[in-house]
Amino acid sequence: MTNIKSISPTSRQEGHAELLMEVDDEGIVTKGMYFSITPVRGLEKMVLDKSPETIPVLCQRICGVCPIPHTLASAEAVDASLDIEVPKAGKILRELTLLAHNINSAAIHHFLIAPDFVPEDKYATAIQSVSAVRKATQYLVDVVAGEGIHPSDIRIGGMAQNISPLAKEKITERMTDLKGTLENHVKLMKGFIEESDLPKGLGVVDSPLFATTQFYGDVNDFNLDDVTEVLPEAWYGNEEVGKRACTVIPLMNGVNVETGPRARMAKFAGFKDNGVIGFHIARADEMLLNYQRIMELLDELDTSAPARADFDFKGTGKLGIGVIEAPRGTNVHMANIKDGKTQFYSAIVPTTWNIPTMGPATEGYSHELAPHVIRAFDPCLSCATHVMVVDDDDKKVLKNEMLKI
Amino acid sequence: MVLGTYKEALSARATDSKIQKVAQDGGIASALLIHALEEGIIEGAVVAGDPNDDWAPYPQVATNADEVLQAAGTKYSMSPNVFGIKEAARQFGLEKIGTVVVPCQMQGIRKAQAYPFSIRFIGDKIKLLIGIFCMENFPMASLDTFSEAMMDSSLNDVKKMDIGKGKFRINTTDGTKDIPLKKTHGYEQSGCNICNDYVAEWSDVSTGSVGSPDGWSTVLTRTDNGVDLFTSAVDVGLIETKPIEEVKPGLPLLEKLAKGKKDKSKKEIERRTKMGIPTPVLY
Repeated sequence: MTNIKSISPTSRQEGHAELLMEVDDEGIVTKGMYFSITPVRGLEKMVLDKSPETIPVLCQRICGVCPIPHTLASAEAVDASLDIEVPKAGKILRELTLLAHNINSAAIHHFLIAPDFVPEDKYATAIQSVSAVRKATQYLVDVVAGEGIHPSDIRIGGMAQNISPLAKEKITERMTDLKGTLENHVKLMKGFIEESDLPKGLGVVDSPLFATTQFYGDVNDFNLDDVTEVLPEAWYGNEEVGKRACTVIPLMNGVNVETGPRARMAKFAGFKDNGVIGFHIARADEMLLNYQRIMELLDELDTSAPARADFDFKGTGKLGIGVIEAPRGTNVHMANIKDGKTQFYSAIVPTTWNIPTMGPATEGYSHELAPHVIRAFDPCLSCATHVMVVDDDDKKVLKNEMLKI
Repeated sequence: MVLGTYKEALSARATDSKIQKVAQDGGIASALLIHALEEGIIEGAVVAGDPNDDWAPYPQVATNADEVLQAAGTKYSMSPNVFGIKEAARQFGLEKIGTVVVPCQMQGIRKAQAYPFSIRFIGDKIKLLIGIFCMENFPMASLDTFSEAMMDSSLNDVKKMDIGKGKFRINTTDGTKDIPLKKTHGYEQSGCNICNDYVAEWSDVSTGSVGSPDGWSTVLTRTDNGVDLFTSAVDVGLIETKPIEEVKPGLPLLEKLAKGKKDKSKKEIERRTKMGIPTPVLY
């Protein structure tokens, strides 16, 4: 006999989602369906007919948890559509901002999963460690990009300005100080995670890995022709779920993929583990890789070099694609600028890629363990909500159930 | 109190001839900034520079004495220094910031320190606020009108601007020219007419020419930080002082002008309120 278990909304994640599971008599999940129930926010429509410089400013508001990857992917997409080559210093500053943010975001996730792994008497230690890591990395984002949340100084063409030699000196000093703190933090969290009694096979997925590079992201490793999008009704094979799900299902070469820290680490850093424990370990290990990369880039940064290119805002009318390796996976924004205005805008964000992979990852174990699987992916739903079906000819909205919420 | 809260009033000037040469009056703002930089009280200051030499001021971050001196002298159009503070704290990486601003900017900065919307982690980095006496401020188009239309001089040829003794004066390559201050009325920023603060009441140290003889400035020290810095600058001989009671015209003139600004603004606020125009609430 098949029973239905539902968790709605799933907890300790950003945004609202539902996990619907078919379970057998032993309570083992036989089919997992995970879908977003966060209402559509329509930023991709809001940016239409706006001038290019407005787009990253609006698009970074897609989310307050991961605003930097959205700003960057948006700026990269517009840069590409305007045919801009960002100067080297601008590229370095952008990557520094992202790396620091990725470390910060992984630390926030450790805060979210603390109740799953950290013994109660170690709570204060773990949270203080999270705070110390965040404080240092957010300082870098503040200085380089103008604001820690919704950075004001990532601009079309590069960065608003380069940093001063004194600022570089201070960042280097803070980052050097962070080394011990970060290594201890990773050791501490990995210790808790490895001691956990969660089954090793829990959450193991065999979907293809989707990641373009270990750091920053590279549009050259992303082929839009490989991507297809399926409406949720068709994907879940369940009309009820299909109606309530707020995202389309993006597929790479016809299949759902896994993106995120483990995908990057497995593809580019030889990481072997899988499953819930593997996800968490990969995320923690990646913090250290990001840290090393920050130190390399700081060394490379010439503070007297220009950080922003001159450009013609009118645009080429070609589709520009921005690909950013965000904390939760590969973030893709697409923009088409013509006559100085946005003609088309679309975003396929990290959690959207993972949504069809997360449900099945809960299968084969007790439904009580399923929330652990979901949290291991660190889903973030506010940006992953994009369904609105319009008739291409007369632009009539054909499906707008979620818009009415 | 028409002069706001202050600890001590003095007449003072910088002793260094390098500062005297470029200063508007007594060179107090420059001397205090340079002293604060040398003592490590601040790492840099947001000052009103004139990068294009056309009297259009622009906030610049000065981190040494030379850069402070390059920005010395009063510019009579607004330099958005409050905006510069954020840049100083971010891309310049300064954690101890000073600035020189007019009273309305001072109110903005103090309010931003109390309610740090969109200036996260900046309010606490502001370590020195020097306020300058200000009756009004002119848009660039007004300065252009005074200089080009009323005094037949290009702004690019103007070496110094000054207001004093009822006149708006410019020193140009062809000598000194002036117009009666009355002729400038109506050309000021409209916000100046509802401003009730002449002496930068919320600063650490306020300074300006009024009350002191030529080449000297009147100084009001207001906060503990302001007193400490000023005293230390006097102790090392960077600034010399005279008791305010011994100089002419002294505090009575300053009080008269400060009160005049308060009275005038009150009237204007009432007039605007009657017309249904929104006006700021003053505390």
